[in-house]
Amino acid sequence: MTDESGSLQRRVASPVDDADRAVLERIVAGDVHALEALYDRYRTMAYSIAYRITNDATLAEDVVQDAFLGAWRNAGRYVEGRGSVKTWLLSIVHHRAIDAIRRRKPTTELPEREDVPPAELRLPDIWAEVSANLDADAVRGAMAVLSDVQRQAIELAYFGGLTQQEIAFRMDTPLGTVKSRMRLGLLAMRRALTDDDAGDLEPVAPDGSVPDGGAP
Amino acid sequence: MSDEMRATDLTCDDVREMAGSFVLGALDPAEDAAVRAHLATCDDAHAEIADAGSVLPVLLESVPVVEPSAALKGRIMAAAAADLEARSTPPAAAPAAAAAAPSLAPASTVTEPIPFPTETDRADRSAAQAAPTRTTSPVAWVLRIAAVVGIVALVGWNLLLQNQLNGAEQYQRDVAAVLQLAAKDGSMTAVLRPAETSEAAGLAAMNPDGTLTLAVHDLDPTKGNEVYEAWLIGEDKVPVAIGGFEVGRDGTGFLATSGVTPAAGIQVVLTLEPAPGATAPAGPVVSSGAASAVA
Repeated sequence: MTDESGSLQRRVASPVDDADRAVLERIVAGDVHALEALYDRYRTMAYSIAYRITNDATLAEDVVQDAFLGAWRNAGRYVEGRGSVKTWLLSIVHHRAIDAIRRRKPTTELPEREDVPPAELRLPDIWAEVSANLDADAVRGAMAVLSDVQRQAIELAYFGGLTQQEIAFRMDTPLGTVKSRMRLGLLAMRRALTDDDAGDLEPVAPDGSVPDGGAP
Repeated sequence: MSDEMRATDLTCDDVREMAGSFVLGALDPAEDAAVRAHLATCDDAHAEIADAGSVLPVLLESVPVVEPSAALKGRIMAAAAADLEARSTPPAAAPAAAAAAPSLAPASTVTEPIPFPTETDRADRSAAQAAPTRTTSPVAWVLRIAAVVGIVALVGWNLLLQNQLNGAEQYQRDVAAVLQLAAKDGSMTAVLRPAETSEAAGLAAMNPDGTLTLAVHDLDPTKGNEVYEAWLIGEDKVPVAIGGFEVGRDGTGFLATSGVTPAAGIQVVLTLEPAPGATAPAGPVVSSGAASAVA
């Protein structure tokens, strides 16, 4: 897709990335202790994401198990430069969790998804992250630039597994507006993370900087 | 075919408008395919897609933190170990292996689907998980198991009973997992006592089926790449690494692994290593103990 688009600034390999890549190499070689190290490092985030999406402790654990086994079997398909090992792994968790809740839905709600084989392994798209290893303040700052309706649309999609049509219906909003909310919200988050220097984020002022609606 | 027809219908502006929906996975399959088809042939780099996608890790970081049960690790490690075993199974024997472990695909078929646990599996397990916790507090449950196993006095129960440290609850759950294994037929336990410069103590259990669990408290948090590595030292005096873990501020550590060979008198040793993957202990011993059969 967009190779080396030049827009991926500040992606600096951290010592954590290096250690993770070394762990992944051992996983490729079939070292179960390396899988264990990966699990120990990311079990909390992985489970937190799975639980946020499924809202079901048992299902969330199944998702995490599924994702770590997916990583165990597919470690050789990790592509350096597309994102950190952490993002790769957590994206798999996200992907599997969304699959799980979509399958849990009554099929009448989503007729066109029935032809997706339930257990098909599709590795998720990974985009190079805006900045590796953000601290909690930076995350909060970036989330704070979203307007309520932008955050709602983004979360319904990313954590609720809804399509843009379903979100438009749920929010009783025209489809074009929903598309804009998601796009402009994400781009505002990116601006917040790239305009400021890392670690010193302040929420972007609400006036004009976080426009809602109004497709170009 | 119809997807391709639709792809030609998408303009660059259409794709730009859907950048957010696309990276968030909010397009239906036909729309998604149409965007991908457009991107594959378009001269425009459509940087807005990479830009929108670049903040997804931030969304993932924003979720409230919840901890999985201690038992999950054992399940994952056991499944990975079984998977590894299936990899070394000759193709002729594969059907038998597959029948024995239907949820595990041989490694040669990495692109094969990863089976998702069935509804029945889940129902069984949630019933099993819910049973002890719904009617009994975790502490009571741990004490009940401990009483059965008869090793209450051997562990740092004052920590558990004070129930005041952050790590105490985590340690309770970890010890519960260790005791579960200790209660199995043929299991051995090792009480881990602090080395001179440490206060780390805990309990390990291992079973002839090769599984081992270990829970330790009062560990110093790991820094940087540091990991605590556990070793088994048998009669040949050669330490065998059995797994490592990091420790956070709560000071508790837990390890669940498989493929070990327990023997009476075997030493369980915990060291602090500067980096993961050590093949021989380099760091200081923080805690150790010898395995003996559960009476």
